[in-house]
Amino acid sequence: MSYSTFNRKHFDSMKEPMFFGENVNVARYDQQKHPIFEKLIEKQLSFFWRPEEVDLSTDRKDFQRLEEHEQHIFLSNLKYQTLLDSVQGRSPNVALLPIVSLPELETWIETWSFSETIHSRSYTHIIRNIVNDPTKIFDDIVNNEEITKRADSVSKYYDRLIEMVNLYNTMGLGTFHVPGKGDVEISMHALKKALYLTVASVNVLEAIRFYVSFACSFAFAERTLMEGNAKIIKLIARDEALHLTGTQHMLNLMASGKDDPEMAIIAAECKDEIRHIFIEAAEQEKEWASYLFKDGSMIGLNAQILGQYVEYISNVRMQAVGLDTHFETKHNPIPWINAWLVSDNVQVAPQEAEISSYLVGQIDNDLDESDFDDFDL
Amino acid sequence: MTSTSKVEHFQPELGEQTTPTQDKDQVHRVLLGKKQILVTEDEPLLIQLERAGIHVEYQCREGYCSSCSIKLLWGQVSYPFEPLAWVQSGYLLACCAIVKSDIEIAFFD
Ligand code: FES
Ligand SMILES: [Fe+2]
Ligand SMILES: [Fe+2]
Repeated sequence: MSYSTFNRKHFDSMKEPMFFGENVNVARYDQQKHPIFEKLIEKQLSFFWRPEEVDLSTDRKDFQRLEEHEQHIFLSNLKYQTLLDSVQGRSPNVALLPIVSLPELETWIETWSFSETIHSRSYTHIIRNIVNDPTKIFDDIVNNEEITKRADSVSKYYDRLIEMVNLYNTMGLGTFHVPGKGDVEISMHALKKALYLTVASVNVLEAIRFYVSFACSFAFAERTLMEGNAKIIKLIARDEALHLTGTQHMLNLMASGKDDPEMAIIAAECKDEIRHIFIEAAEQEKEWASYLFKDGSMIGLNAQILGQYVEYISNVRMQAVGLDTHFETKHNPIPWINAWLVSDNVQVAPQEAEISSYLVGQIDNDLDESDFDDFDL
Repeated sequence: MTSTSKVEHFQPELGEQTTPTQDKDQVHRVLLGKKQILVTEDEPLLIQLERAGIHVEYQCREGYCSSCSIKLLWGQVSYPFEPLAWVQSGYLLACCAIVKSDIEIAFFD
């Protein structure tokens, strides 16, 4: 069945499954099968922020004062996050919009993916501020082996689903020969399985893969270094916490069978595979921590502690989607991180401040009270 | 805002069954392993556990991230607002759950 941008069929959208039912026609929200997705949209919109509102002027000086191995930690994390948000800024749209069947979920996917583009733009904001030649950093994302290894893991489920849906939309159900890939079977069961695995791998991306990087950013900020960056990471972490709830809802709704009975069967069949996706990602993140600290640790963090944190957070995320926990670590080894991750008191500079973001050095972040003595406030 | 949107109810397997009450000053026992913590219905469970020196994982503290999910072995809690996060059956979200009876909770096994 080919995709239609405005499906002319008459059907009751309240009876459609989340995915692989009718293509959405009227974008209406007066009746909703799963109202949670509109609540997520509202929350996401209330979180709206712009990278340019965050003052990064002291970060440049801080960065120059970091030791070389600390600069490596900082830049490597930025590269990895840039990769993750490059994927997330497009893939939910490309992979999920052609197969979604509920208006509220369709709009959540678009809202979600849009917020990722803010994250991507914030990395450019950060990088332009600390180095003179951003190209070197961006180019390394497609060259650096440690990063490209990860690019493969985060994109392979999306890419497979997209390929299968393309075949389904042009050829329908059946087995098709794809040059270079051999025979690809397109059945409803195979499509739904590819979808379920994709949503799980996205949950892992947003709920686990970001957290090593978050921890490092906040560890710098604990030492009052790179505080503008930490402010941006707080805003990103707040968005990501909402995104992971979105995929947890999708996974749990699928597994419950309440949305689509066939999905419950697939979820049960895939249980081991899903566990494997979580565990493999956790192992990769632990390896990433070792790569970050290969030339030296930073105060308050080392590869071992970060590895334990990855295990701990993976247990939390596995439990949230109904999986048994896997790792031995039952306590958070860096409990101070939660005070940074908490969303209250996230403040950006007031909009009136008109911070001209890239004019480095023009904005003085170091004013203290006395500097305002002459001002009538 | 005090209306109860959702009540989780598990029959106690141990101890006495308690009758939930609307009385705000009501104190309930929270059993956690060998510890017993007294809580009121005035505030969510998370902040009261923290005051008792117990570390609970959290992130948003607003019911949308599920980081504070804890096992509810028995007893009743309610949510003044329906949380955005999915609440697994047999679990509670500590940051926004109001304890409504004596309860027993557990972290990871
Ligand atoms: S801390 Fe986020 S749901 Fe409780
Ligand atoms: Fe993101
Ligand atoms: Fe995200």
